[in-house]
Amino acid sequence: MSADTLGTSSAARPGRRWSRGQLARHLVTPAALAVVLLALYLWVSGQELDSIEARVLDAGAIGDATLRHLKLTAIASLLIVAIAMPLGILLTRPRARWITPVALAAANMGQAAPALGVLVIMAMLFSIGQTVAIAALVVTAILPVLRNTIIGIQQVDRSLVEAAFGMGLTPGQVLRKIELPLAVPVMLAGLRTTIVLSVGVATVATFVNAGGLGDIIVAGIKTTRTPILLTGAVLTTVVAFALDWLAGVLEHSVRPRGL
Amino acid sequence: MSESSSTVVSRPAGRRSAPAEGGARIELVALTKRYPGQSEPAVDDVSMDIAAGELVMLLGPSGCGKTTTMKMINRLIEPTSGHVLINGEDVLRLDPAELRRRIGYVIQQIGLFPHLTIAENIGLVPRLLGWKAVTIAARVDELLELVGLDPSAYRGRYPRQLSGGQQQRVGVARALAADPPVMLMDEPFGATDPITREHLQTEFHKLQRELRKTIVFVTHDFDEALRLGDRIAVLRERSVIAQFDTPERILSAPADEYVAGFVGSAAAIRRSGLTTVDDALRHIALAPPGDDSGGLSVSGEDTVRDAIDAMLRNGRDRIHVTDRDGAVLGSLDFTRICELWARAGQPGGRDVG
Ligand SMILES: Nc1ncnc2c1ncn2[C@@H]1O[C@H](COP(=O)(O)OP(=O)(O)OP(=O)(O)O)[C@@H](O)[C@H]1O
Ligand SMILES: [Mg+2]
Repeated sequence: MSADTLGTSSAARPGRRWSRGQLARHLVTPAALAVVLLALYLWVSGQELDSIEARVLDAGAIGDATLRHLKLTAIASLLIVAIAMPLGILLTRPRARWITPVALAAANMGQAAPALGVLVIMAMLFSIGQTVAIAALVVTAILPVLRNTIIGIQQVDRSLVEAAFGMGLTPGQVLRKIELPLAVPVMLAGLRTTIVLSVGVATVATFVNAGGLGDIIVAGIKTTRTPILLTGAVLTTVVAFALDWLAGVLEHSVRPRGL
Repeated sequence: MSESSSTVVSRPAGRRSAPAEGGARIELVALTKRYPGQSEPAVDDVSMDIAAGELVMLLGPSGCGKTTTMKMINRLIEPTSGHVLINGEDVLRLDPAELRRRIGYVIQQIGLFPHLTIAENIGLVPRLLGWKAVTIAARVDELLELVGLDPSAYRGRYPRQLSGGQQQRVGVARALAADPPVMLMDEPFGATDPITREHLQTEFHKLQRELRKTIVFVTHDFDEALRLGDRIAVLRERSVIAQFDTPERILSAPADEYVAGFVGSAAAIRRSGLTTVDDALRHIALAPPGDDSGGLSVSGEDTVRDAIDAMLRNGRDRIHVTDRDGAVLGSLDFTRICELWARAGQPGGRDVG
């Protein structure tokens, strides 16, 4: 199914959230990921594993590392939402607009700085462990949500905002009833980027003893065992794609109808 | 009128009847707006008194300050100096949001909220005012009917599922939702083709005759101003009023060259479009029916322009005038039309219509 036909079918029936084409498109990703995981499993089980490989590639250990990775990503993303969305909204209010460039520049630096560098510096300043890993994740992955919250609100047609004020909505009502609903798609696109970014960056958490799939990858590199390295890398990629897919489904479900 | 009626849009008769108490009086007192960083004010010392139930057109070229003047009435723009009084109350003393809920507002860009259905768009202000859901639903249907849209077909749709003309109707319905005494309309029919536009104007005019709101209506279309306005304020740069008068007076006695420029040519023809046959009969008597009218006829609600148009097109110099039941009352000819202008059309004389 081409993007074109998807576009027209959704345009024809804006009242309906899921057209058949969109459903199909949303099922492609999980199916493909399942195939990749199955292939990885079959390949690894076909190998003769030595004792090191067998220890690292134990199902329980892999499960723990994956859960840990997801937890790091989830906590960091939630913190980012809790910080960046209110901050972004605040930065679009007329009285705070002058700070916006400063805040965006700071968030930009967070993203531009190498994640490992940020992590090491923070570990030196504070301590090692999960808290520092999450803090470093927040610093490196906050920009997309912050920027898209600001842009999402700024791109709302000024004439709509003016119409809303002209009808007698208070500034708070204009924000809640008009600006935010219309900014939601852009804001969620930012969240999606942040989540995918966090999955990748969370692999360096292993260097501050915070666990995650980084453990497996680093073990694979240190021991030069390809099955281990490959398993860690593929799992990280699959987690990234899976979360991206989930966020995409969410994005689609809460997008206001009529847009 | 016989064959040519469909092509001529006439103004419905009797619109100069005394305004009912549907609206509120609006006074602009020495209103001035100076935007920061600009040497010239955008609106310079404008005063205007608008009666309750009156429809006033602000007419002027692009950039002359029409929108700025209008937005100072609902405080979307705060005046640099001067006052706006609504029923004697200074709007600067009122809470802006509360004030605006009592003033219907239609913007040029229509401004329907794309994420809300038509019903939700129209019901927004009533909801803010705390109306009950059933009351709102009934009001939405009533308003959709009023602007000529079938409620069952349109209330659940989203704005982008409507044509431009339909969206503009919804924009008007939304502004009327809480039955405000005052309406501000900034080129509400601007974004449509001429035919739809004329259609919307005619319907809107009919509506206003019933509702009798106080309306400030911005346009730069002279014909629209003539068709709809009880009075027209012709504005110069900085919103300075060149003439504030009835359409007839502006056509028959433009205050100066500037106003005459708007009237342009064909002022007499335009005036004849503002005058119904019934109006004309208050100034002149009909000729006997005669038998050379070729079956042409007009009724009392048609305009003199309709009559002239039908006569010219059919090569006749006489047209029958019929009553409501179609009985011929007499006939109108060019001699009598000239007489009408001679009697009623002198500047300073009594207005036609
Ligand atoms: N927010 C603003 N800041 C500064 N100047 C403004 C602002 N809004 C309008 N102006 C200026 O004030 C003048 C009047 O503008 P206004 O929008 O009232 O004109 P208008 O008569 O409504 O024109 P149009 O028919 O094109 O809508 C213009 O010269 C415009 O450039
Ligand atoms: Mg304007």
